[in-house]
Amino acid sequence: MSAPSDNVPIPAPAVRSKPLVIRHLPYFIGAAILVALAAGLRFDGYILNILLQATTFSIAVFGLSVVLGLCGQINLAQAAFFGLGAYAVGIGTTDLHLSFWLCLVGGCAIALLAGAFLGMSTLRLGGHYLAMVTISFQQIVTLVMINAIWLTRGPDGVPNIRRPELFQTSQSYLAFCVAMLAIVGYLVWHLSDTKLGRAMRAVRDNELAAGVNGIDVFRTKIYAFALCALLGGLAGGLFAGGFAYVSPDQFSFAESIVFLTMSLLGGVASPIGSAIGTGLLILIPEWLRFLKSVPGLYLAIYGLFVILIIRFMPDGIWGFVADAFNRWRAHTKAPPVAAALQLKPATVGGEYVLEVTGLSKHFGGLKAVDGVDIAVRRGGVHALIGPNGSGKTTTLNVLSGLYEATSGKIVLDGTDITHMPPHQRTAAGLGRTFQNIRLFRSMTALENVEIGAERPGNTMIGKGEDALTERAMEALNFVGLGNRANELISSFSYGHQRLIEIARALAANPTLLLLDEPAAGLNSTEKLELHELLKRIAAQGLTILIIDHDMTLVSEAAQHITVLNFGRRIADGESMAVLRHPDVVSAYLGSE
Amino acid sequence: MDLVLQLLFTGIGIGAVYALVALGFVLIFRATNVVNFAQGEFSMVAAYLMVVFAVDLGWPYWLSFLIALGGMALLGVIFNLGVYYPLRHRTFLPVIIATIGASILLSNSVLAIYGPQPQVLQGWFDTPGIQLGPVYLDSQYLLIIAVTIALVFFNYWFFEKTLLGKKLQATSQDKEMASLLGISVSTMIMITFIYSAVLGGLAGILVAPVLFVSIQMGSTIALKAFAATIIGGFGDVAGAIIGGLALGVIETFGAAYISVPYKDGFAFLVLVAFLIFRPQGIFGERVAEKA
Amino acid sequence: MKLTRRDFAAGVVAGLAAPHIITSARAQGATIKIGMCAPVTGPAAESGRYAIQGAKLALEAVNKAGGILGKQAELIIEDDQTTNPGIVLAFSKLAAQSDIVGFLGSIRSTQVHAMAPDVLKLGKPVMIGGTDPNLTHMGNQWLFRFRPNDSYSGRVIAEYGVNTLGKKKWAVLHSTDAFGTAGGKALTAALEKLGAPPLLDQGYANQSQDFTPVVLAIKQSGADILGSYFTFENDLGIFARQLRQLGVNIPWVGSPSIVNITALKLAGPALYNTYGVADYAEDSSEASKAFGKLYRDAVKVAPDNQSSWPYDAVTVLAAAINKAGSTEPAKIREAILSIKKFPGAEGEYNFDQNGDGLHGYNIVKNDKGNIVFDKHIEFND
Repeated sequence: MSAPSDNVPIPAPAVRSKPLVIRHLPYFIGAAILVALAAGLRFDGYILNILLQATTFSIAVFGLSVVLGLCGQINLAQAAFFGLGAYAVGIGTTDLHLSFWLCLVGGCAIALLAGAFLGMSTLRLGGHYLAMVTISFQQIVTLVMINAIWLTRGPDGVPNIRRPELFQTSQSYLAFCVAMLAIVGYLVWHLSDTKLGRAMRAVRDNELAAGVNGIDVFRTKIYAFALCALLGGLAGGLFAGGFAYVSPDQFSFAESIVFLTMSLLGGVASPIGSAIGTGLLILIPEWLRFLKSVPGLYLAIYGLFVILIIRFMPDGIWGFVADAFNRWRAHTKAPPVAAALQLKPATVGGEYVLEVTGLSKHFGGLKAVDGVDIAVRRGGVHALIGPNGSGKTTTLNVLSGLYEATSGKIVLDGTDITHMPPHQRTAAGLGRTFQNIRLFRSMTALENVEIGAERPGNTMIGKGEDALTERAMEALNFVGLGNRANELISSFSYGHQRLIEIARALAANPTLLLLDEPAAGLNSTEKLELHELLKRIAAQGLTILIIDHDMTLVSEAAQHITVLNFGRRIADGESMAVLRHPDVVSAYLGSE
Repeated sequence: MDLVLQLLFTGIGIGAVYALVALGFVLIFRATNVVNFAQGEFSMVAAYLMVVFAVDLGWPYWLSFLIALGGMALLGVIFNLGVYYPLRHRTFLPVIIATIGASILLSNSVLAIYGPQPQVLQGWFDTPGIQLGPVYLDSQYLLIIAVTIALVFFNYWFFEKTLLGKKLQATSQDKEMASLLGISVSTMIMITFIYSAVLGGLAGILVAPVLFVSIQMGSTIALKAFAATIIGGFGDVAGAIIGGLALGVIETFGAAYISVPYKDGFAFLVLVAFLIFRPQGIFGERVAEKA
Repeated sequence: MKLTRRDFAAGVVAGLAAPHIITSARAQGATIKIGMCAPVTGPAAESGRYAIQGAKLALEAVNKAGGILGKQAELIIEDDQTTNPGIVLAFSKLAAQSDIVGFLGSIRSTQVHAMAPDVLKLGKPVMIGGTDPNLTHMGNQWLFRFRPNDSYSGRVIAEYGVNTLGKKKWAVLHSTDAFGTAGGKALTAALEKLGAPPLLDQGYANQSQDFTPVVLAIKQSGADILGSYFTFENDLGIFARQLRQLGVNIPWVGSPSIVNITALKLAGPALYNTYGVADYAEDSSEASKAFGKLYRDAVKVAPDNQSSWPYDAVTVLAAAINKAGSTEPAKIREAILSIKKFPGAEGEYNFDQNGDGLHGYNIVKNDKGNIVFDKHIEFND
């Protein structure tokens, strides 16, 4: 698949990209035409209602495409957020006599706050907890809508909801909603290419890797969740204005499932998919009325389709179409050219880049790491070795913040990072790779490296997207994969994936690079290439702490070696001396 | 005091129902790391099977009971092959959504066949209950509590003392290690699905005489049962039972002393409180992921 | 055997295209059209079928007697899916057909609330069965009700309990959904008027699995009579059993669901000797008996209020149009409002200016599982 691009010379300098607004002019023209159609065509009440429902629901489903599609978090309470917005407009414009606009903004704010709160309380846990908590939230909101009669008028619902003066007729209101849909759709569409959007995708693809690449995983999830809730609230407010009546049963758990299915059916990752899914799930029930004369039959088929879609069309209808389209289209655009990579590790502290003292990590009674001291000298390659189960990888995980240290102190370039979460350590200048490669698998090589380059505190990139791309290209060129920058991770060999992971760490311009068994799984040629690469990195003055089994690699690359066994340091010093140390010899011969 | 005792009995009875369903959740979760949102529907389907055989066809109660449990075992097989197995290598998200799809499919298929009217299923005993001093003990609730206690011991014996149970344990703790030891992981997962479908079915059959047989009977209970598993500590069998009982009691007393209409809210408030202040639950779960 | 992605995609496409082929061809003719929103699908599909049967029986009778304004009458049915958005869509579909002269709405109050703004916009008469008193008291002049509203059911329960049974210490129990809340409110208000404010006013959420706290609250309140508004039969069944198990045997007068066939089946002896209000009781009048016979012959099921109100609605609408001599909405409205002493299956129709046709309820008793007509209580204000 990648064969043609390998040998093709890199094309002439990339054309300076035109301003975003001009490049996306077709979208805005299309949207304007749709708005004009919505305002101009004469629909009967039935069509109008269907269109209004599809438009407002789509906006809520856009929210799901952010939280589920981009960030990979589940939300089974979108109908509740939708309801919060709807009730804000409903109660606000009737009982409180407030302006529609104020209520719409208020509803969005309430949904946003509720989403953020819910996220803050549970997103640390994620997964099934999140599913359960969102269901709970949904149930509580429904209960309040039904029982807090003084506020919500209870199950009777709120009738006679007002619309803004400007859009009194249903037709003009529809046009207004379509315009909102177009704007929100545009923003969601482009969210994935922003820094936040990339962070969300990184979190979805691999949380651990996202953390060690400087992304605040928890905060990113909260943003995604709050954004989803906000869009739900907005959609609900628009819905309330459109239908002039809201009641609790319109915002039940069942509706949340409908939203989820809409999102899945169309394609969870893109707004176009969301709109397709929403449209279909509003139209299909209308077409399949004949199935509904037996209560339950229609929904049974619906449930079956949910299973089949998940099984056979994991990316939804749009994902399926887009996939086919991409395969048919010859190839992705050629990557831009870039200069040579410059590594300028920060030099704030003294002689030692990393000073670890008395580091321990206990799991219950097991002392995986026990009082280890490591001092990594600036500008050198330092190796950490030891037999299997000696605590090497645990040490590395404590260093990069994936595990909290039980005791001890870690100072990176003069900064105490002992109690920092992973992303802050990255911001402080730590970079790492993983033994079992952790790349963001749904992204291209370039995007992966861009996320690395985006680390807070990276002094080597200028402002703007172009500078970011340039830095990432430099790093990819440095590891020799620049000409394949726009290919998806899945098309790279194992060895190349390892190189991309290193490029991702290098692009961040770290002060210290942690390499976790970089030679594992590589063939002998690749190992030679890796060795060359390490030399070139070291030549630029970047300090490396490497863990590996490959003694040849370690003894040739490292000037200094620390040896662990059973969680304790048994030897430390200049390479050759350490390797001849009797304890080290017996540790290796005794256990391997 | 009489009031408190009566409420306590009811709370424990309802809690035992949650605990039974929660047990099914926990078993599947431990084996597959997946939350089965169709667990409640297992209960519902089993209750309808009882209606088919014991009521509509008029077969003996015990025979219908065995057939219904056999049907549940079959459903467990189909569920594993149709919903879980094809998605086993994907992340938990698609699997959760697929089980939600399965839950919609199951409940509405039954609705299409049986219609929305709730059905009656007789209990095991002819006497509806006994008056013990000031407290009335519903015989079906007594049975449910007894079965729950029995299952605690049975599960302990099964998972700790039998070879099959140990194999299941090993599989749920470390799949790779288990397969290295020559245990067929997919068979173990299949057995887990069968066992938890049967457990869910048992809960449904036991609870049907009290709550009647209806389409929604499973989903309401399952949500509470799920909350119970989290409160107890995800993946912990004893935790699920304690969590279920605690939830039943909290709910009943909450309804009696705070508010009846918000009764369903208490379960979820307790749950959210637990998630904020003690996410590992009463008995604790490892939340960390290995790098 | 293996289903590939491609096969699945093809299946999806075929599935989506199929409905286009099935398009309904609507017959155009010189008929008078009446639109009807009914739950053909959704949770209430079964009662929806009864409603349609009732309306059709009335239509046949009208056509046999010469039709409306000399033309045959025709019923156009749209599915409301038993949901609020569903009925809004269904009604807008019907409203788009300008030759429909009148409509039948829903028996569910929330659905009528949902469609009410559109009814007001359209300005044509809509017959409804929802019993929330507000529906005819919110300035919507196009809604005409063919069942007694809940202020009457509340008043009848209160009247019967206080004056006939002679009990003054009430416990009121109601579902917290639209129906139960409105009913509970009406009953409480009526009791206050009669000088017997309830000792306990308790709401519960639908699909509760346990009523022990509620029963104990009733027991502790010292009430000697219970009035209830239950929505779902399984809730009613669980409550009734627990009530008896915990030894509460006070008289109990309930909303129509207490005499519903499913409730009788679920609760069994626990409901013996309770009283219920019923808008349709087969033995309450000659017209009711006549409808009962007609319905049993045609549908082979016992008649109930699901079918009797649409029957009356179509009959009255046809009579009103004939009387007005025109299909102009304002004239139909006037004709309906002038209808007095009109014998219907549900009772005697005397329309007031709000559009309420009935002002009383029947009280029936559960006599060992048989529902027996006890008395009719009518109000004139």
